[in-house]
Amino acid sequence: MADTDEAAAHLPASQDSAPQIETDLSDETQDFRFLNNLAFPSDSSQTSLPRRGEKDFEPNPTNYQADILDASRHAMHNALSHPRLHHPKHRVIAYYAPDGPAPPPAIDVTEEKDEKETATNDNNEHNLTKERSPETGTGISVPEDSCVYVPNPKGQYFKSMGRADRWNRVWLLPEEALYLIERGSLDIRWPVSVTGPTAEEGEEDLGIPMSLQAAYACFTGRGGLSVERFSVYTGLRRLGYTVIRAPGWDDESDEVQDEDSAPQQGLGIFGRFLHWLHNWNKSTGITTTGPVVGLGLHRSYNDIYRKLAIIPYHDPVTRQSPRRKTTPPFRVVFHVYKPSTVFRKSAPPTPDFRIAVVNSRTQTTMPTQAQLGALLESTPLDPPRGEKMDRMMYMRLRHGYRNVILAVVDQGVVSFLRIGDAAFGKEKVYAEKPPGPKKGGFRPRPKK
Amino acid sequence: MTSETSSPSSNPPTTPAEPSALTTLISSAAISPTTPLSAATLQVLHNLQHQHLWTSLQIHRLPLPEAPPSSSDVSYVSSTATTAFVISGVPPNRIYTHPDEQLFMLERGLRDNDIDPERTFVLPTVEGQSWSLRKMAAVFDSLPQVNEGLASLAPEGGSKGEELQSRDEKEAKIAEYLEYRNSARMTNEWGGKRLLLSMVDRNMGGDGTVVYYVVQEGAVKPRQN
Amino acid sequence: MDTDPALPIPISYISGSYYLFSIDAVTYLRREHHICGVLIGTLPQIPQQNVFLAMPLQLMPEEARLLVDKGVACIVDEVKAHKDGMTSIMEEDRKRYLQDLEAEGLQAMRLQNRRKEQLREEALKNLDAKKAAKASKKAAQKQDNAAGDDFALELFAGGEQAQDAGPQRPTPSETAMAVTPSTSYPPMPSRPTSDQILPSPEVPSSYPLFAHLHTKGYFLSPGLRFGCQYLAYPGDPLRFHSHFLVVSAEWDEEINLMDIIAGGRLGTGVKKGFLVGGAEQTGPGSEDSVRMFSVEWAGM
Repeated sequence: MADTDEAAAHLPASQDSAPQIETDLSDETQDFRFLNNLAFPSDSSQTSLPRRGEKDFEPNPTNYQADILDASRHAMHNALSHPRLHHPKHRVIAYYAPDGPAPPPAIDVTEEKDEKETATNDNNEHNLTKERSPETGTGISVPEDSCVYVPNPKGQYFKSMGRADRWNRVWLLPEEALYLIERGSLDIRWPVSVTGPTAEEGEEDLGIPMSLQAAYACFTGRGGLSVERFSVYTGLRRLGYTVIRAPGWDDESDEVQDEDSAPQQGLGIFGRFLHWLHNWNKSTGITTTGPVVGLGLHRSYNDIYRKLAIIPYHDPVTRQSPRRKTTPPFRVVFHVYKPSTVFRKSAPPTPDFRIAVVNSRTQTTMPTQAQLGALLESTPLDPPRGEKMDRMMYMRLRHGYRNVILAVVDQGVVSFLRIGDAAFGKEKVYAEKPPGPKKGGFRPRPKK
Repeated sequence: MTSETSSPSSNPPTTPAEPSALTTLISSAAISPTTPLSAATLQVLHNLQHQHLWTSLQIHRLPLPEAPPSSSDVSYVSSTATTAFVISGVPPNRIYTHPDEQLFMLERGLRDNDIDPERTFVLPTVEGQSWSLRKMAAVFDSLPQVNEGLASLAPEGGSKGEELQSRDEKEAKIAEYLEYRNSARMTNEWGGKRLLLSMVDRNMGGDGTVVYYVVQEGAVKPRQN
Repeated sequence: MDTDPALPIPISYISGSYYLFSIDAVTYLRREHHICGVLIGTLPQIPQQNVFLAMPLQLMPEEARLLVDKGVACIVDEVKAHKDGMTSIMEEDRKRYLQDLEAEGLQAMRLQNRRKEQLREEALKNLDAKKAAKASKKAAQKQDNAAGDDFALELFAGGEQAQDAGPQRPTPSETAMAVTPSTSYPPMPSRPTSDQILPSPEVPSSYPLFAHLHTKGYFLSPGLRFGCQYLAYPGDPLRFHSHFLVVSAEWDEEINLMDIIAGGRLGTGVKKGFLVGGAEQTGPGSEDSVRMFSVEWAGM
C-alpha cells in the first residue's frame, strides 16, 4: 500500500484519481496545514478531511521551504492544541472507579465509606469486588475489568460500548473509557474520595476532571489493555467499526468458539466423507510397488490426475482433534463488526473479523506454523461460498476456509495482515473448465 | 589487495564440443574452484562478460577477517573461506549516478553516455553464504579510494560523430564535470566507496540467475528515477 | 505558538511505553531535537478518521533514551506520580485549577458563539448574494425554471430560522464548556519528585545506529510499514519523504544476504535506499563507531 502511495506522489496529477483509491493517507505523516480549515473552536459539521499534500525529496536551504515547514508545524501545533470541550447540552459525565465495579454510594453510605478507607488494601478490595459482583447485575453482569461508570448514558456510543448495571449506570472497560475521553466525548471525573470535591455549589459529588494523561496512566496496563491493543481498538473505532473483546483477551483463557461447534460437527462429517473418498481413491489406484497410474482403460484425464495426486494436502475443513492450544500473542483478542453490521451489545452477532494483536518489538519473528495453525483453528470455519466465489478459483484461494487478522503494532504504527487458510489441494485445477474463447461471462459488457 | 590478471580476459577460450562455456571457464580458471565462492566468482565473471558485456575484467583476492572468538559468547557461524574475491571491470554503460551528480550533469546538458564508464568493483556472493557487517566493512576497507587506481581503461575517443563546434563546447563541459567529480570524491559529496554486490542463485540447484545491487559506504540518498 | 517548555521535559512512562502529553513539549522536541514520535490519539475535532491523529505522542524507547542522554528529558513513572499526586493536591491548588478550567471553558464558549455568529452572518451574506444573483438571472431570462435552486434556497433559509433560536437565548454564553485537559500538571506539581524519576530507558541493540543517524540530522520513525526497523527522513516527515529503510545488525551478527537483496529491492521499488549498519566493535575501551551501507538495485 505504502509503496503505491509513495509512487503515486510522483505521478502526474492527471493520474491522480485511479491510485487514490489504493492510497491510505494514514500510512504517512500528513501535513497538518491541510487541516487548517479547522479554526478553534470550530463547528465540527463544517470540517471535512483535507487531501494529501505534496512533499519534497530533501531539504534545501531556501527560505521558501523553511517557511512551508514552519507553516506545517504551526498548523500541527494549532490542531493539537485544540482542547477537548464538552458543551453543557451534550456533556456526558463519567466517574472513574479505581477499584472496579461497585454499587452506587447512595445504596449504603457506611459501606461506601468503609470501602474507600480500605481502598489502599488491594487484597481486601478485590475480595469485596468479587463478593459483590453477583449482586451488581440482575441478569447482566458487569465485566470485572470495568473501571468507569456513566450515570446518565446518552449518545450513540453506548449502543456498542459498556454494560449497564441494575442502577442503569453504564460501566465502561478501560479501552472504551480511554477512547471516549480521547475523542472528547466523555468528561471523566476523579472520585471525590481521591481528589476532594469541586466545591461548586449545585455540582454535588463532582470530582475534578480527569486529564488525558491521567486517563492513560489509569487505563492502559489495566485489565490486559496494552497500548498495542488500544492502538488497534481505537484505530478501528475511529473508522466506524464496532470492536469488542474476544474471549481470548485474558492470557489464561484460550478462546473456545462455542458458537461454531454445531456447524463444525456437520462439516466435520462432510470432511470425513471427503477424507474417506480420498482414501478410497488411494486404495483403488495406488500400490506401493506398482506405477501410480497403472495399466488399464483410462477414460478421462481427470482420472489420471486424480491418481497422480499422491501427496497428502492440508484440508482446513477437517478438524484437528484435539484442537491445538493457541499461544499469545497469536490469539484472537478482538471481535470486529463492520459499520453496516447490526450490532446489539447484549447479544453480539458472529463477528465480521477476528483480530490478534502482535507487538513487533517483543515478537520479532514470524509466527511458527504451529502458532498460526492453532490460531486459525480457533476461528470458525468460513468456507469460500457465494456466487462469485463459486465462479472464481483465485477468490476462493484468497478467501480460504478460515481466516484471522494479525494486527502488528510497532510503537503506535499498526499494520493489518489477513491470514487465510487456503486449501490449494481442494482446488482440482484439472477439473476446471478452461476459459473458452469468448464464451460465457468473461467478456466485459460493453459500456453505454 | 592483490590483483592478478586472470586468464578469462576479453577473449575466452573457445574450444568446440565443450559441455558449457561456464563449466569450461570454471575448470580452467586460474583460481582453483574448490569452494562454492570461487566457483561463484567465475560464474559472476562469466555473467558480467557475456551477459552484461563488461570488459577488462580482473579478479582480486582479499583476506576476510574472522570474527574474534573472544568478542562474543555466542559463536556466530563463520564461513570456512577466509579469502574473498572481488571482480573489477568496465561496464559498457555507467551503472550508477548519484542524484546530485545527475543534477550537475543535467545542468550542463551532459548525458550518461557522454562520460566514459569507469572501472567498477563487483563482490560475488552465493545465496546462503555467511555474511556480517564486519565482513562487509573489510571488503570496503580493502577497496582503493575511489579516485585512485581507477584510471578508466575504456577505449578513448569520447563523443562520437557530433558537430565540431558543439563538441568543443561539450568537451569543456565534460572537463568541468570531471574536475568537479574529483573534488566530489574527496568529500564523498556524490557518495563514497561503492561496489556491486552480486549474488548467485544456488538454491534448488540454481537457475543461473545473478542479481546485482549497488552498495555504498554511508547513508547515500536514493536515486529518484 | 512556541512556548518553550522547561527542561528537562518529563516523559511519561506508563505500562511499558513512553508518552508526551504536552503539545508544547511535542512541538519543541520536533523543532529543536528532530524527535517526532508517533501521534496515537484521536483528534477531537474530526474523530472519525486515522489520517490526522492527535495527542498523546508515543515515543520509541530509543527516542526517550536519546532525549534523556542529551539531558533534555527525564522519565517519570506516571502511574506512581498520579497515585501520589492526585490524593495530595492542596485545597488551594485545586480551587485555582478549577477556576482556571472554568475560565478556559467560558472563553471557549464565547469563542464558539462568536464563530457561530460569524458563520451565520456569512451565510446570510451568501444568501443575499444568491438572492440578488437569482433576481438578476430571472430578469434576464424570464421562463427560468430553477426548481432545484428554489428548493435549496428554502432548505437553507429554513436552517437559518431554526438556528436563530439558539444565540438569542442568553444562557449558553453564561455557562462554561467543560474541559478535559491534556495533562495533569496542573493541578499536580509540575516537577516530579525524585522517587518518581525512572532510570534511562532500555533500548534494543539497534540504538547505536538510531543515535548515529539522528546525529547526522535524520528524522527517524518506526519502520513497520516497510518491514524494517526505522524509516529515516532527510527532514521533518511533515514535509519530506523518507530516504532510507533502516535495518541494524550487530557487528558479527550473521546477516542473511537474501535480506539485503530483499531490502534493496523493496527500497528501490519505493524510491528509497536500504540502509544496513551497526556499531563497529573496535575493541574494549575505545568508543564504538557506527558504519553503515546503502543498498540499491543496480538495474542490471
